[in-house]
Amino acid sequence: SASVRVTSGAQGPPRSRGAPRAPSLSSGRSQPGRRGRSRRSRRVAATGERRMLATRVFSLIGKRAISTSVCVRAHGGVVKSEDYALPGYVDRRDYPLPDVAHVRNLSAGQKALKEKEKASWSSLSMDEKVELYRMKFNESFAEMNRSTNEWKTVVGAAMFFVGFTALILIWEKYYVYGPLPHTFEEDWVAKQTKRMLDMKVSPIQGFSAKWDYDKNEWKK
Amino acid sequence: MAYPFQLGLQDATSPIMEELLHFHDHTLMIVFLISSLVLYIISLMLTTKLTHTSTMDAQEVETVWTILPAIILILIALPSLRILYMMDEINNPSLTVKTMGHQWYWSYEYTDYEDLNFDSYMVPTQELKPGELRLLEVDNRVVLPMEMTIRMLISSEDVLHSWAVPSLGLKTDAIPGRLNQTTLMAMRPGLYYGQCSEICGSNHSFMPIVLELVPLSHFEKWSASML
Repeated sequence: SASVRVTSGAQGPPRSRGAPRAPSLSSGRSQPGRRGRSRRSRRVAATGERRMLATRVFSLIGKRAISTSVCVRAHGGVVKSEDYALPGYVDRRDYPLPDVAHVRNLSAGQKALKEKEKASWSSLSMDEKVELYRMKFNESFAEMNRSTNEWKTVVGAAMFFVGFTALILIWEKYYVYGPLPHTFEEDWVAKQTKRMLDMKVSPIQGFSAKWDYDKNEWKK
Repeated sequence: MAYPFQLGLQDATSPIMEELLHFHDHTLMIVFLISSLVLYIISLMLTTKLTHTSTMDAQEVETVWTILPAIILILIALPSLRILYMMDEINNPSLTVKTMGHQWYWSYEYTDYEDLNFDSYMVPTQELKPGELRLLEVDNRVVLPMEMTIRMLISSEDVLHSWAVPSLGLKTDAIPGRLNQTTLMAMRPGLYYGQCSEICGSNHSFMPIVLELVPLSHFEKWSASML
């Protein structure tokens, strides 16, 4: 009978990782009498066994879980690594040498080129050098730093909305607002200004300071 | 009163307001300096191609940008406190005038010698005489003698109001059940306008204050005529 022994440390017995085993039907521990093990590793073992049963049942998800959680399995299924937590490729000006190469799966020709790269580089042609570069990097610095025309779109949209708002305001002035108070008429404003000058409103620096009382006109 | 295209404060009519004007200039200059420095640094940040991603030790600049703001704040606080204490100096007012806030008008009481009371309502826009100021004129102005220290006692008969005259640097809350005091001293004759400065209901914007500062002899004639 297959003895299901899932250990929580890195010192697992040599076995093929990721291969589903015959699941034990008992949900708890399958090895009675294992008093030597700690409670935690027993709990971890139980989880691992449940996981193997689950991957059997939901085989598609199980396969995916297997492929991305290889390192998880090594630790007994405690934490699942998401894609973003694994080393990835970035085109960033301030991170010039990404953690992985752009092209992971090399074709036969590319593999041969990598072998040729191990020899002297002066034997490489220009095209080969470019090919090697494109295998390692997605965009060149010139490409990744290129400017876009996005600003034109943004400015255009902003101006459009300003214009649209102006239309709303014109409609509002015509259909909603009543007339201005009569105190805004030119005649009234003139009399009002004269009265403000007579009572010397802000005569030091403000309003009346700009009026020439001798010549009866605004100061030039 | 405020005038068209006014950017700053109204010209001062009292010595305290003069102090406040200069303090405002001083503080605003500091504010402009700090703002332009910050704007400049932001523009530098946005227009550089340089990058630096490793954490840095920044003890020196951290010390500077702690000490320097502290100094700036002290430079603002000292003149501010000076003016604050100046406002509270003992000044022996020659006249006491009481004003009560109502919804929605002010009433004034000159009770030092005789019993003079009157209400001060805003003049409605339709009843203005040509050249008068909309929403600012009142039927009975507060006539006061110029160049004399006057004690104003301010309270309210109903809700919160606030008695404010910007060109004299005055703004005092009118609180029902409480008597607030402020000192008024105008160096120039003329009309000085203010508006209620604490929300008090639907006509909060329509209960202005108009002070008419006149020579003492004019004031005496006026108060006699009002009795």
